[in-house]
Amino acid sequence: MYSSELIKGTLKTIILKLLSVNDKLYGYEITQMVKELTGGKIQLTEGALYPTLHALEAQGILSTEVVNVGNRIRKYYSITQTGKKVANDKVDEFSEFIGTMMDLLDLKPKLV
Amino acid sequence: MFVLKDEQIGFILEDIRRNGIVTEALQQDLLDHICCVIETEMLDESNFEEFYRSILPRFFKRNLREIQEETTLLLTFKNYYAMKKILLISGAFSAITLLIGAFLKLLFLPGAGFLFVVAIISFSFLFLPLLSILRVREQKENKNKIIIGIATIFGVLICLATLFKVMHWPFANTMWMTSLAILFFVFLPVYFFTGIRSSETKTNTIISSILILTAGGLLFTLTNLKASRWTDESTYTSDDRLRVAAVFVSEQNQIAYTTDSISPRRKELQVKANSICSRIDQLKAGLIQFSSHGEQGLSEPQIIRNYGTSLNFATAFLFEQDGKAKPDLMAIKKELVEFNAFVEKQFSKNPSVLLDLNDVFRFGEKDQEVISWEQNNFDHLSVAVTLRNFNQLVLNIRLVEATCI
Repeated sequence: MYSSELIKGTLKTIILKLLSVNDKLYGYEITQMVKELTGGKIQLTEGALYPTLHALEAQGILSTEVVNVGNRIRKYYSITQTGKKVANDKVDEFSEFIGTMMDLLDLKPKLV
Repeated sequence: MFVLKDEQIGFILEDIRRNGIVTEALQQDLLDHICCVIETEMLDESNFEEFYRSILPRFFKRNLREIQEETTLLLTFKNYYAMKKILLISGAFSAITLLIGAFLKLLFLPGAGFLFVVAIISFSFLFLPLLSILRVREQKENKNKIIIGIATIFGVLICLATLFKVMHWPFANTMWMTSLAILFFVFLPVYFFTGIRSSETKTNTIISSILILTAGGLLFTLTNLKASRWTDESTYTSDDRLRVAAVFVSEQNQIAYTTDSISPRRKELQVKANSICSRIDQLKAGLIQFSSHGEQGLSEPQIIRNYGTSLNFATAFLFEQDGKAKPDLMAIKKELVEFNAFVEKQFSKNPSVLLDLNDVFRFGEKDQEVISWEQNNFDHLSVAVTLRNFNQLVLNIRLVEATCI
């Protein structure tokens, strides 16, 4: 499992990317999906997830839909048109960042 | 997997609220999340409460309230980038507007005052508060937040005080002194004693404190800025020329009286003119004594050089609190009216020969207003200008006298 410092800077990118390939997701679903996709190496904490989701919603990057599930309310998050552009920018930026870090830390795969 | 009952959901919701989650949307999110975890992971339904207590710490480091705090922080600063943009734009706008205003003032061109007002208002009420909010947000320790808060109050006050001083608006000096008092007695001690405790910040704190103290000292020296020596000299010269001219014409008049046979009306003219001029001299001597700050035996030139720019002394000496002229000044006016009437009757009906004692129009606070002769010549004027106006009056009387002889 990676440290929270490493995950902190990529939380928005992870959320936005997941929501741009899935129609709508709720909080618990997001944490489970990340856990499954990374084989448990990345586990989002609720303490970081929900403040970020609410902030993205306030910025108009995400929209929400409330559904009654049994005897409680579930809030589904989906990405807006503006959000899709932000998601692409974030992924591109992160991709460039990885390239830079690979150069910086000399992590390029070596030809055998 | 089982489904939680209503009372269990109610229990969780109540516990979330009790633990400091106040936003309803956040309560719903966390409730659903916790319910999902319990419904997926709990094996034995009878241990619901115990299981709930065991999974709750996954949601926080210290307590559940931190999720609420982080959410509130992010939501409050959702306009962070907009704020930063406004900060930069308002800062650049204020600086450029202020510079253009200063340039216009230097060249005596119109619009300088308007630009000063716009620049300092935008700097004090947009740039500084935004800068303060953003800086406070970056700080973790309360003491640093307090220092930034005090510095902002000082900054806003000193900017407004400068504006009020430049525009000659009331309370400028009060604001100026208040802001300097905040700098010296609140900001500096708090900043110094907070920074000096840590070995990392000790040297920087001492250097910064010296710089702040020096800058504050420089501002303090500007508090009671007087006119330049050249301005004082010009005022003095103007007053002196009038005084000399009045003495010269007076002497010529006395010679004229002695060379001609004096008729009764000329004798009366001489008596009346001398009487008024003597009254004026007495009043001037009183004003000189009153404005001398306790120094004895100061002459008129010395008073003009040392205390000439003071605005309060002459007005306080010649006018009552309610703005009406004091009896001494009114007695002079009464004699001047009689003098005019006498000259008109005995010598000339030409108004240009007479002293002008009429009320005048002046642009006052309420646009154009009619003000009296005494207000126009003596109210709210500096000691130097008041003395100069008295000398001008004496010269005018002597000139009327000369014309009549």
